[in-house]
Amino acid sequence: MAFYTLGLTFELVILLTVIVLAVWIYGIYFNIKKWGIGSTGYHDQLRFSFWLFLATWIHEAFKDGLWVFIRTVILDVLLLRRTLARSPVRWVMHMSMFYGFLTLATLSGLGLMLDIVEHFNLLGFADTAEVAKEALSLPFDLFGYLLLFGASIAIARRILIKFVRDNTSAYDTFLIGAVFLITITGFYAEWMRGNSFLVGNAFAYPIYAPHFALIHTVLALGLFAFVLPWSKYIHVIATPLTLLANRGGE
Amino acid sequence: MADDKNSKPLMTGYLMSTQLLEVDGCNRCQECMKWCPTFAVRQDRPGITPMYKNARWRELMAKSHGLRAKIFGPKPLTDDEMKVFTEDTYSCTTCGVCGTVCEAGIKTVELWEAMRPNLVKRGDGPVGKQSFFPKLIKGDRNPYMAKQEDRLCWIPKDAKVQESGDLVYFAGCTAAYRQQALGVATVRILNKLNADFAMLGKDEWCCASALVRTGQREVMAEHAVHNIDALKDIGAKTVLFACAGCLRNAAVDWPMWYEGYIPYETMPLSVFLRDKIRKGEVEYKIPLNYKFTYHDPCHNGRHLMHLKGKDWAFEAARDCVQSIPGVKYQEMVRNRALQRCCGAGGGVKAGIPDLALDCAKARVQDALDIQAEVICSTCPFCRLNLIDGRNAAQSSIKMVDIVEMMAASMGLDTTIPENPYTKYQSQDVLVCTPTECKLDTVERKEPGKDLVGEAH
Repeated sequence: MAFYTLGLTFELVILLTVIVLAVWIYGIYFNIKKWGIGSTGYHDQLRFSFWLFLATWIHEAFKDGLWVFIRTVILDVLLLRRTLARSPVRWVMHMSMFYGFLTLATLSGLGLMLDIVEHFNLLGFADTAEVAKEALSLPFDLFGYLLLFGASIAIARRILIKFVRDNTSAYDTFLIGAVFLITITGFYAEWMRGNSFLVGNAFAYPIYAPHFALIHTVLALGLFAFVLPWSKYIHVIATPLTLLANRGGE
Repeated sequence: MADDKNSKPLMTGYLMSTQLLEVDGCNRCQECMKWCPTFAVRQDRPGITPMYKNARWRELMAKSHGLRAKIFGPKPLTDDEMKVFTEDTYSCTTCGVCGTVCEAGIKTVELWEAMRPNLVKRGDGPVGKQSFFPKLIKGDRNPYMAKQEDRLCWIPKDAKVQESGDLVYFAGCTAAYRQQALGVATVRILNKLNADFAMLGKDEWCCASALVRTGQREVMAEHAVHNIDALKDIGAKTVLFACAGCLRNAAVDWPMWYEGYIPYETMPLSVFLRDKIRKGEVEYKIPLNYKFTYHDPCHNGRHLMHLKGKDWAFEAARDCVQSIPGVKYQEMVRNRALQRCCGAGGGVKAGIPDLALDCAKARVQDALDIQAEVICSTCPFCRLNLIDGRNAAQSSIKMVDIVEMMAASMGLDTTIPENPYTKYQSQDVLVCTPTECKLDTVERKEPGKDLVGEAH
């Protein structure tokens, strides 16, 4: 278990993961409860209800039928049609960040599951899990670069375009900075291990690779559980839900 | 009172829960800022743009309903922050261009119109003369302090208006009391086309658009229910509107206040007229030799394009204009769904008139940029505000309604019979001889009793 450092054990990592997930889930519950402060219709009474928010959302999202819902999922949520209509550069940026972030999150979850399989040798698949983990490194690299590409465009726009820069708040700076930092630390941790995709051994420093990986993990989980649901970054979840509730918008 | 512990929490009751979700859905892409007509003339106040309004609402929500508020109790909202937020929220014409360009698909018009009644209920809104609307409209059933009995006082004696029928013309308060040339032109055209139509007369109450737009919903229910019932009683199957504000309210807002079945369809007059043009029933006699451009009213365009389709919302009026002989036509750069608002809507004309005027000047400039001689439209309020903007900009450009253009070109007599409101008429008109029409301006002879110059 050379991957774990500073006294962290596998069991401790699993425990921390569970805590992080619990905080995140509570954050989402808290937001849904907050949205439930509104009414369910134009003249309806307030309900203050988690469940009635969900019912209202489902009612709105499926108002025009299943086909419209599916069309909105594909064109507006997955392909970001509205962004493309306004700015192709911003569309490339959002698509890169959206798919980079989403895929990395999925791969991380998958990696954790493979870790569990490997650790407990579930169904005798420990060796297979180890091989599968190795196979994940290339997609990790590719989607990491994709996210980095998107975050770089976001930063460049704010540096180069005055109007965008003038209307950038501390929130925006923090979010883009955090995404950029997390991506860079992830890459650096990977590069320190040596024999890395594209850079080879240029940054190899295997002794400290686990430490850097830990920094990356703490930052990523911190953003995921302790910042995202409790700040304006909830838009990562609220925007797709809004697009669906409004059947693609005006 | 900066730390008043007794301050009321933020009200959310008029917002649907999915609208509270929408506030969090704003991803701060800044697109709305590029299109907002009020921000275009108030560059020093980014707070009036949708992105900042959403951010502010989120902060206020967090104070009353966030995690910290849940653990330690809500933080009081200060008078200062509520004053600023109220001013920003009411510095919006609810034109809806932000919703059209919003990457997150937020239905912004509905969102602002749901925020405002919460501010009214909390005692923060409305602003300026908007607060007169409920009393005026409830008292007189129109915003001009005019008599209901005079609703049809402008109808020429030889015009045929039925007492009931399938086809109904809903004139609206402004055509009845302040821009009667539009009403007369409409009646003359319908008569000429042998379209038998009825009007509600004194049973026509203000559409109450101003109340919905400014978040003062109390009197709205009465007017919506009354007008729908009156239209049902008269036997309406199709209701024609030559006023974009009345049309939007009748098509979108009234049904939300009415529980029964609504048996009629609401239709822009331009759609009805285009149909007649296509059937060859409209016969023009006099060319209008001017260069025209068309201003899309928000209420007739963006607000209705999903309900009625883009053809009805944008193309019908253009088709009518371009069917008139002699017309040279050119689009302004911003047109159709991305048009620039004239600045009158959302109660801004009554509440923050200098902002409305600056928006109007910007729109007039759009027309001057393409060397148009006349701006035509289908909204009396756009027309009124654009005339004010034109006067402030000291331009010679004219504003006319497309119905009046058609009536003039058809050679119809659009003389307004003398009536108690003749002296309040103020608008650009087409004065025609049998061979040509000239643009002229009718100046108002008396200031009138308008407490609020703008009702939509």
